[in-house]
Amino acid sequence: MTSAGNKPVPWRDAAPTPAVRFRAAPQQQSLALPATAAGKPATPLARATSARQLWLCLYLPALPLEAADVSLPPAAATAAGQAPLYAVFEEEQGTRRVLMASPAAHEAGIHAGLSVNAALALQPALTLAERDRFRERQVLEDLAGWAERFTSFVTLEPPDVLLLEIAASLKLFDGLEALRAKIVTELTALGYSTLPAIAPTPLSATWLARAGSRRSVVAPERLHGALIDLPLACLAWPERVTASLAGMGIEQVGDLLRLPRDGFARRFGSARLGELDRALGRLPDPRAHFRAPQHFREDCDLDGEQDDSELLLGVCRQLLDRLERFLRTRQLAAQRVTFRFYHLDHPATQLTLGSLTAGQSSARWMELMRIRFERVELPAPVIAVRLRAADGQALAEQTAGLCLGGADRHDQSIAPLVERLAARIGEQAVRGMHAVAEHRPDLAFRTPRVFEEAPQCRASLPATSDPARPELLADMRRTERLLLRRPLWLLEEPEPLACRDGRPCRQGPLTLTSGPERIETGWWDEQGVARDYYVARSRQGVYLWVFRDRREGRKGPGEGGGWYLHGMFG
Amino acid sequence: MNDALDKLLQSPRLWRGHAQGKAWQGLATGYPRLDEHLPGGGWPRHALTEILLEHYGSGELKVLMPALARLSRGCDGDGADPGWLAWIAPPFQPYPPALAQWGIELSRVLIVRPRRAEEALWAAEQALNSGNCAAVLLWSTALDSAASRRLQLAAEQGGCWAVAFRPRRERKRHSAAALRLELRQGVQGTDIHILKSRGGRPAAVRGVINDYASLPGS
Repeated sequence: MTSAGNKPVPWRDAAPTPAVRFRAAPQQQSLALPATAAGKPATPLARATSARQLWLCLYLPALPLEAADVSLPPAAATAAGQAPLYAVFEEEQGTRRVLMASPAAHEAGIHAGLSVNAALALQPALTLAERDRFRERQVLEDLAGWAERFTSFVTLEPPDVLLLEIAASLKLFDGLEALRAKIVTELTALGYSTLPAIAPTPLSATWLARAGSRRSVVAPERLHGALIDLPLACLAWPERVTASLAGMGIEQVGDLLRLPRDGFARRFGSARLGELDRALGRLPDPRAHFRAPQHFREDCDLDGEQDDSELLLGVCRQLLDRLERFLRTRQLAAQRVTFRFYHLDHPATQLTLGSLTAGQSSARWMELMRIRFERVELPAPVIAVRLRAADGQALAEQTAGLCLGGADRHDQSIAPLVERLAARIGEQAVRGMHAVAEHRPDLAFRTPRVFEEAPQCRASLPATSDPARPELLADMRRTERLLLRRPLWLLEEPEPLACRDGRPCRQGPLTLTSGPERIETGWWDEQGVARDYYVARSRQGVYLWVFRDRREGRKGPGEGGGWYLHGMFG
Repeated sequence: MNDALDKLLQSPRLWRGHAQGKAWQGLATGYPRLDEHLPGGGWPRHALTEILLEHYGSGELKVLMPALARLSRGCDGDGADPGWLAWIAPPFQPYPPALAQWGIELSRVLIVRPRRAEEALWAAEQALNSGNCAAVLLWSTALDSAASRRLQLAAEQGGCWAVAFRPRRERKRHSAAALRLELRQGVQGTDIHILKSRGGRPAAVRGVINDYASLPGS
């Protein structure tokens, strides 16, 4: 505090988001008074105010229930037109108690705190599911991703609160009320009930939402007035603190704000005091920006074991639709997706689909999946399906990985065919090819998989180009004698040839018609060769490319002679 | 009267020999002596060609190379785009440096290696039907007459040149191919026997390919 003492504190550098700062109307000599360590008014904060913020808090009170994976009995209840009876329970110190019940179940007398056995005794038709905190978190993150369509700033407040900074979105969405109505309608359509509240600071919005007040507090001056009526419970402070406050006769936030600052800080810790200051906007409240994950991973649990392929494909379609939504909201595209089918007693079956051009459309993936699925034999019935899409790439980017394209990479017309082939007979079975500047015949080419990144180094071989054009043909004839001819067929592994009287044989002795062409060395990568290549004519009139391994010949010219067949001129 | 005649002419059971319709659109083989004997002056462009041979390496690739090179480079006179060449289930590795020497645009080559014979047929049909390939080469030992009919149909619909390589012992089997050739090694090099050509006549062209390294026409 030397030079910065009389300057505005550079809050913005410290915090990723400048929180609301304004001067609250000082009312009493109490907690409501601006706070600084020295007891001076916190004017720097007020002055550093940049843009005014407005926070919409989406509190999801029924999240444990809505996120729970309740598989309802299909026929009976719903057919009768009844609302489903279900509840979520949580295990606590050995006893399983109902945490939350569906409205119908609640009316039937199932309420929170009831033990599971008692609940089942009351309502034998009750469907129960255990609370799944992991899933709740996942739902919250999904919703945060969804909320990004309304604002660029979304933050999570686990377990059940989403905060949206909406000041900058008001104009786009035709004002506060329209925006709020839109958000609530869409959220309800997604199947989540919410209590929305709007306030200038994130904490106050959260408190208002938890208190169930659907108020919109826009003006910072009115914030204090809006908070004083709230019950202490909406602060979500530890039981111990609220109990102690209740003992003092304090039941509302307004009572809290009348307490003396230093005494409150001594008794309940300066953290709580800071929380009050942040709620009232006297201290900045920087929040971490929610970053939607760029990797898609979604699971779908099935009801028991399933082996009906149409049903499984239906599940795959659902997952792909979700993937499409995921990609679309992020302006991403995927080039490879992986399905995993989980079985009870077997290791999971994995299916990977690739495509030449990154895309979003679920229909295209589904087409490939159908082709692929036909060929797959699942070892056992499936209990769950997971879809993962690895690297999402920005949609605008030119898709890489088309090593077939070569000269003109923009020609993607072949892509659908290649994808279908790869989906059915496997990615490793569909390849392109290119030549490499290398003198050893085995290494003079590559056959890259089609979805691989195109390599950098290519050879430009003396192509004889268009044989139909006579002037070229004449030119070629002239150079033909200089050109070393290569066979059109190459054997993947040289085939050892029998040797009779020093001559290589293959269904009869071979006649060497030209050669040798000596190809040597490769010490730099330890795949050195020492071979003399010949063109040989077989008895059947087939021209073969054979070589004699000179290193073998040196060892012992006796038995094999070191002759190999390496190619045919085709 | 005319009606009855038309009906008769449309009947698939009537074989009309040389006068039948017009010959296929020919794709010059690059071997003038062979072109002379082919009805359209070259390979049947949108149909199935069958090549029967005893041993791999008896010139079966060389006879195709000039035409394939032109297709892959798109320099076939009528301003066609460079086309894709799909090689399905080749028995050995097609050697890129040699293909490049023959003028094939390597970036247009697609090698497919299915594990099973029926997958090879499926892949060939897909490639033909896709309409993206200029030529589809298929090596298969499981090509019966039904399969050859399907390939012929797919080639017509996809506007693609299909080439199937079959062992010589299958020459007596029925086939729906528009052109059937048999390669034999003769005294002066590879002889080509035209066993069947739609709108043409059987013929034997001797010594079409007479050297392991020779370019066409020399």
